[in-house]
Amino acid sequence: MKPWQAGLIVLAAVALWLAPLGLRNAGLYLAALWVVNVIAGMGLNLTVGYAGQISLGQAAFLGIGAYTAGIMAKAGVPYALIVPASASLCFAVGLGLGFPALRLQHHYLAFATLGFNMLCYLVFRNEEWLTGGTFGLNGVPRPELLGMRFGRGAEFFHLSLVILFVMAALMALLLRSPWGRAFAALRDNPIRAESVGINTTFYTLMAFAIGAAYAGVAGALFAPLVGLVEPASFTASISLSMLLMVVVGGSGRFFGPAIGAVVVVLLPEWLRFAADWYLAIFGFAIVVMMVWLPGGLLSLPARLARR
Amino acid sequence: MTLLAVTGMRKSYGAIRAVDGVSFAVDAGEILGVIGPNGSGKTTLFNAILGQVRPDSGQVQLDGQDVTRLAPLQLARRGVGRTFQTLQVFGKLSVRDNLIAAGQEFVGTPGRRLFTRGDAGLGGRADDMIARFNLGHVAGLEAGSLSYGQQKLVDIAMAFMPSPRLVLLDEPCAGVNPALVEALLELLVRLNHEQGGSFIVIEHNMDFVMRLCSRVLCMAQGAVLAMGSPAAVRADPAVLEAYLGD
Repeated sequence: MKPWQAGLIVLAAVALWLAPLGLRNAGLYLAALWVVNVIAGMGLNLTVGYAGQISLGQAAFLGIGAYTAGIMAKAGVPYALIVPASASLCFAVGLGLGFPALRLQHHYLAFATLGFNMLCYLVFRNEEWLTGGTFGLNGVPRPELLGMRFGRGAEFFHLSLVILFVMAALMALLLRSPWGRAFAALRDNPIRAESVGINTTFYTLMAFAIGAAYAGVAGALFAPLVGLVEPASFTASISLSMLLMVVVGGSGRFFGPAIGAVVVVLLPEWLRFAADWYLAIFGFAIVVMMVWLPGGLLSLPARLARR
Repeated sequence: MTLLAVTGMRKSYGAIRAVDGVSFAVDAGEILGVIGPNGSGKTTLFNAILGQVRPDSGQVQLDGQDVTRLAPLQLARRGVGRTFQTLQVFGKLSVRDNLIAAGQEFVGTPGRRLFTRGDAGLGGRADDMIARFNLGHVAGLEAGSLSYGQQKLVDIAMAFMPSPRLVLLDEPCAGVNPALVEALLELLVRLNHEQGGSFIVIEHNMDFVMRLCSRVLCMAQGAVLAMGSPAAVRADPAVLEAYLGD
């Protein structure tokens, strides 16, 4: 990393930390929702962008994480245990979802993961005794950690930001380790990878499991942020939005999900002035972006430099 | 001492007998050439030895141990490397990262590799390979952006990263310019001399095969047509008729 890049990252982190100064409650809520999406998007970016697997099931993991967090928080379990529990459960379920990926690729895998998302949605909706059914889990409390309560908007945003920084640092370490190279090898050429001793079974499963664990952590933030965990938040269309986030930002680029989440979470809000037209404008903007910049927004500097 | 022994290898695709009862052995340190017309079963033979396709019958022994039907990954772990007829590099990784990727899984356990240095301690070896294969000026570029010949060199260098006991090279000279072919020949001779591994080389460039290999096996229609010293095989009337011409 060049010094100016490191400087830019520090500057962005400081700006994020100070963001609550200029935001009201609704803005703080959206900012925290952006953080939740970035964390889940980072996980999906590992699965899709770095390891080359396709997944349309990330919202299901966000849901598993959120329900785990909601149920545990309402039972009075400390938040310090809730985050690892949500991550671990998603890691385990993600391992399971990795198995179809050993046999399926491309759109076949997309359909298998889509089916998984629908299955999870049905469990969230129908298993009332556990999930509260259609009405969901109400009144999930904001977390308490180390004797501090992160109840108010700015406090909760700062907590979520700290978790984002930790998760981003862990992801950077993972990608810089030989594992990161093995994921890329799996994406670029699985047959060649096998022939140089890279266990593609192991790394495929890990790409799904670690990606899912990130969604689990995001879910553990989502539940107390919204306060309500309901099935409608984890439909297949949310999974599609998450994939869009990764692709629009720049699949396989570290900061792709952060940019993509701005587009997917914040842009629709900024377009609200257009009233009934906002979805149409949003859709058109995405089409134009994909045609002009198939490598995502982060490929813009390289594209401009080529001119 | 025999390193690899292939006995009665057979593989059919429907009515076509791609490999039809091939047997041969390779000694430790030996370089065996495999020649034959297109469609004579050379690559299928490689794929059957390496677990890329399942042979119908036959046996493969490595150092006296039965390794028939082992997966490519398991063979790689036993020190068997390969290159492919078509380009097979990790296109989005740099040349240096391609080489490290080809060697890193032989260092430590997966758990340890998660917490190890990015280059798994292989940076020096990768740089050595880069220098040997004259790839210094492109070491930092994405492998997929290189010319065909350069990617071929990366592909071959990758096979040698973990110091394999046996390397199967499938048409290393295909699409490579004559000057590079000469350099490749010298490189392979030196690697064979220094690392002591055995090579099996499929190649149509007869001059290359004659100068590199100590023995040559000629295949035709899935079977062994002739086997022996390069000069003897080249002079074999059956080989002349089926492959080399007059």
